[in-house]
Amino acid sequence: MRLKIDMSGNIPIYQQIRNQIVFGIATGQMRAGDKLPTVRQLADEIGVNPMTVSKAYGMLKDEGVILMDRRHGAQVNRLQPKENALDMDFDHTAMLLISEAYTKGVSQQELERHILLLINKIYGHKEVLP
Amino acid sequence: MIVTYIIILWIVFWVMTASSLYSAQYHDHQVLGVVLSKAHSQHDEIEKTLVSFTKACRLVLLLSAVCSLLLFVEPVSSHADFIMILLMMANLFVNWLVIDRYQMKLQHIKEQNNWIYPQKNIVTVDLEVARDSGKSAISPVWVWLFLLLDFLPTVILLFHTNMRQIYPIGFSLIGPLCQLSFVYLFYQMRGRHSNTVNAQFARQEERINSIAATLSALAMLVFWLLFSASMMYAQNGLAILAPVIVLLAAVFGIIRWQQSKISGLEEKFADELPEEQENAGDQQILWKWGFYYDPGDPRLFVPKRMAGMGWTINIGRPAGKLICFGITAFLVIIIGITAYGGSKDYQVSVSGPKVTVDAAMYDMTFDKSEVQSVTIRDDLPPDGTRVNGYGGQSKSYGHFSFKGYGSCMLYIYNNVDRYVVVQLKGNDPGYVILNGKTQAETDALYHNISSWSSK
Repeated sequence: MRLKIDMSGNIPIYQQIRNQIVFGIATGQMRAGDKLPTVRQLADEIGVNPMTVSKAYGMLKDEGVILMDRRHGAQVNRLQPKENALDMDFDHTAMLLISEAYTKGVSQQELERHILLLINKIYGHKEVLP
Repeated sequence: MIVTYIIILWIVFWVMTASSLYSAQYHDHQVLGVVLSKAHSQHDEIEKTLVSFTKACRLVLLLSAVCSLLLFVEPVSSHADFIMILLMMANLFVNWLVIDRYQMKLQHIKEQNNWIYPQKNIVTVDLEVARDSGKSAISPVWVWLFLLLDFLPTVILLFHTNMRQIYPIGFSLIGPLCQLSFVYLFYQMRGRHSNTVNAQFARQEERINSIAATLSALAMLVFWLLFSASMMYAQNGLAILAPVIVLLAAVFGIIRWQQSKISGLEEKFADELPEEQENAGDQQILWKWGFYYDPGDPRLFVPKRMAGMGWTINIGRPAGKLICFGITAFLVIIIGITAYGGSKDYQVSVSGPKVTVDAAMYDMTFDKSEVQSVTIRDDLPPDGTRVNGYGGQSKSYGHFSFKGYGSCMLYIYNNVDRYVVVQLKGNDPGYVILNGKTQAETDALYHNISSWSSK
């Protein structure tokens, strides 16, 4: 899996790392048990301070996306359904995106069709979680 | 002596020219540190400019070699050591000027033809490449073994105490100390790869880089063993020069080998590299006065502007500033010491029961009660070796050792074949050998000291 980091973009680098790893797992580019590079290795490759990578890994660990272990390093966690996954934060982010589409004049049918297309990209060929 | 200086100068000039010419080869989307695509680098105008650059480099080499012959001419030859350093600096500066001028020419051709490449602000990293970083390098056991072997001269000196007079044991630790920097270089190079997206490319590149670092450490070991052997057994200026030539030739050969291997890799993987690696991307302007300056870049060591020419320091980092200041201070001190040592005359003053010799860095005073005898002779004792002192073209002074005399303090003008020899009680130093700027001055000095000691 490849990370593409925009060094001059508005999104902080740690956020880009976190987002792309989440996206990589969701699209099947990374699977449960896959090892991630160490903080230092990834920081050296990208050319950023190790604290930046450490912050991204810390976020992923808090979200339960990866496991951090002293012996095995960082690896992708097994997907486990959370009871409150679709919480207020999720609603807020999704509502904001829908609102932005509305203000740009996107019709409801067009939006539903587009969102379904995106959902299929992620969930299309995957087994249903337990 | 002058011949040795000229050989050293020619080696330095040759290395500078070879490095300049090497930087004109296309590598990593660059020619002379100017970003160009492969197709643009083969453009007629670029090729003509590079032919002209090659001629300019050869002209600088020729002129430098001719200038070095000035060392044979009086009064330059009496300050040969200082002039040698000046010529080295001048050659370095002129080479830099030529490169800078031709960089501007290439940049101008780029602008005229509107060859504009997007700046690389997107960094693409393959997680597999990052995860396997350093795993394809050869074992570090070799560099540690070379470090251990570097202590061989020290071990020999521990058992042969008589050799310590000509080769102090502290001096024998300089080699291992320098070798440590090669161990550090190995650990820097073993995970280093320019390609961050192709795992196979990156693995092979790491292997080449780590082999190059290990070979450099081996070259350092060979240099140090040869140098120590020549110091301990040959004690001859030309014999000491041989290891330097071996080291320079080896380092140059290793760099050539490393770069030809990496160029081969680039060609081999040319079809497999993704689009973002194929296209040349213009560098950000991060170079100040020839140094890399980027406070936002956490790296202390960064590749030089000219791809494949090694590494440089990021002076945007506090540690980089410190190292840069240290190197500059070191150079200034070396030049200062050479200039001061070469220009300052000895002052021998007799006052009361003491004689004081005032010389740059190696002053000494001896008392009348210490003096055993004062003699004058027309030649120096045989088999002299400098232990810790200054040995220039016109003067030699400091701690020396002579066969049959042991430890001596020397304060002499090399072109005057008359010497006052003061034998002291004890053997540290056992003798003080000095003279004046002329034979008449030396005679006067002898009469002055001998009448003082006999009073």
